[in-house]
Amino acid sequence: MNKTLPDVAMMHSDVLIVRAREGDKHAQGKLVQVWYKRIYNFSYKFFYDHDLAMEVSQKTFISMHRNIAYLQDTARFRSWLYTIAVNCCREELRKRKSNRSVSLNDLSPGEHEDSYQWETSGSRQENPERVLRQSELSDLLQACLMQLSEEQREVVIMKEYEGLKFREIAETLNVSENTVKSRMYYGLEALKRILERRKITQETIGYEL
Amino acid sequence: MNYKPDEAALIAYLYGELDGDEQRKVEEYLQKNPAEKTRIEEWSFARTALSNLQDKEVIAPPIMLGEDEVSMPFWKESYFRMPLGIAASLVVFLLAAKLVGLSLSYSPGEVKIGFGEKEKPVQQVPVLTEQQVGEMIHSTVASNNEMLKSSWNEDRKALEKTIQKNLNSNSNKIDKLMQTASLASQEQVKSFVGQLQNDNLKLMKDYMQLSATGQKEYIENLLVDFSSYLQEQRKQDLQLFQARVNKVEKNTDLFKQETEQLLTSLISTTGTNNQRRN
Repeated sequence: MNKTLPDVAMMHSDVLIVRAREGDKHAQGKLVQVWYKRIYNFSYKFFYDHDLAMEVSQKTFISMHRNIAYLQDTARFRSWLYTIAVNCCREELRKRKSNRSVSLNDLSPGEHEDSYQWETSGSRQENPERVLRQSELSDLLQACLMQLSEEQREVVIMKEYEGLKFREIAETLNVSENTVKSRMYYGLEALKRILERRKITQETIGYEL
Repeated sequence: MNYKPDEAALIAYLYGELDGDEQRKVEEYLQKNPAEKTRIEEWSFARTALSNLQDKEVIAPPIMLGEDEVSMPFWKESYFRMPLGIAASLVVFLLAAKLVGLSLSYSPGEVKIGFGEKEKPVQQVPVLTEQQVGEMIHSTVASNNEMLKSSWNEDRKALEKTIQKNLNSNSNKIDKLMQTASLASQEQVKSFVGQLQNDNLKLMKDYMQLSATGQKEYIENLLVDFSSYLQEQRKQDLQLFQARVNKVEKNTDLFKQETEQLLTSLISTTGTNNQRRN
């Protein structure tokens, strides 16, 4: 994963966290700027829905603002923030299940005119064909992720895309490290089968890219 | 050595989160168990595939981070607001009761809560019976009807009179007008026709005169033009004739000269011939 400026800033956000914990609004705002992309992408991969991801991100940071004063160990800020995000995701999931309504956007995300794709910024120099293939592959892989159970999906996203250690994931989810590894194990086994079923092979990925 | 790593160890190995000793054990185990090694490779492939799902670029929207809730006074808390509101309205009620005087009364079917002194009950006036009211209405309606009838009759008579009067005066006026119109029209027609005839005569006369003078002028002009044309033509003919005569004269002179020359040449030739013979 290529590191961007916000990623680098995120790694050195210790001072910001300390200041934010002391009630510095500016530092809290900066933390939002630095971590927003990560939380949004975690939620997006979990729901495969832009609107829900935006909502979860917003709720996560509002909760962060309210509770950061109670954060005892600043070194655990990352797992603490992901705990909030996971809780928000689960809350949204419960709401969705109780509503049992399906948004039309869920059926084909990204294909309608008002989709988030207009909001996202991409490099203009990239080859359009390559971008299209990458986008198709991303959709396909996202669809594969959505076939995992929620528990497996949480763990896989946190490990593969957010780069958390198993210890941090265990802290975030408030379960043992072995449980996390077990979920990862079954998650990868399931993914292997899903990829086979969808005929995604080494060649397919090589061709796509 | 019967070491067999559990699923947690295999996963930790895959992600490189095992300590050195355990890492080595797992590696040895995988070398002896190609099936397990293949499984790890399959997971690695799944991970490679997943790495192609890239992050979405997103710009953080402005999130309003308001003031801390701790700083909010306790009376602004939601669970304090309602009881406080009820207490405040009770205080206002009691104050009003103290100042103005509260009166409570209860009678079967009604409870009255009021402020200030009680109003004295108004004395009731004896009420008319239904029959009396009916009679009153009947009498007023009857008198009203009679009045309306009499006034209507009067109006009708007056209207008829005025209509008759107007009709008579109008017919008289129309008769007079008709008579004067018929008399006046005969005289007018005669004078009009006479005037018209005179006008026509005048018009014809003027026209004839005008046309006669016009024709005269035209013919005069025509004659003048014709005579001048004839003169011109004659002049030209004469010039032409003169030119032709001149030309004939010239030709005759030329012919004469030629004949002379011919004769002289003939004479000279005959002269020389005669000399030679001699």
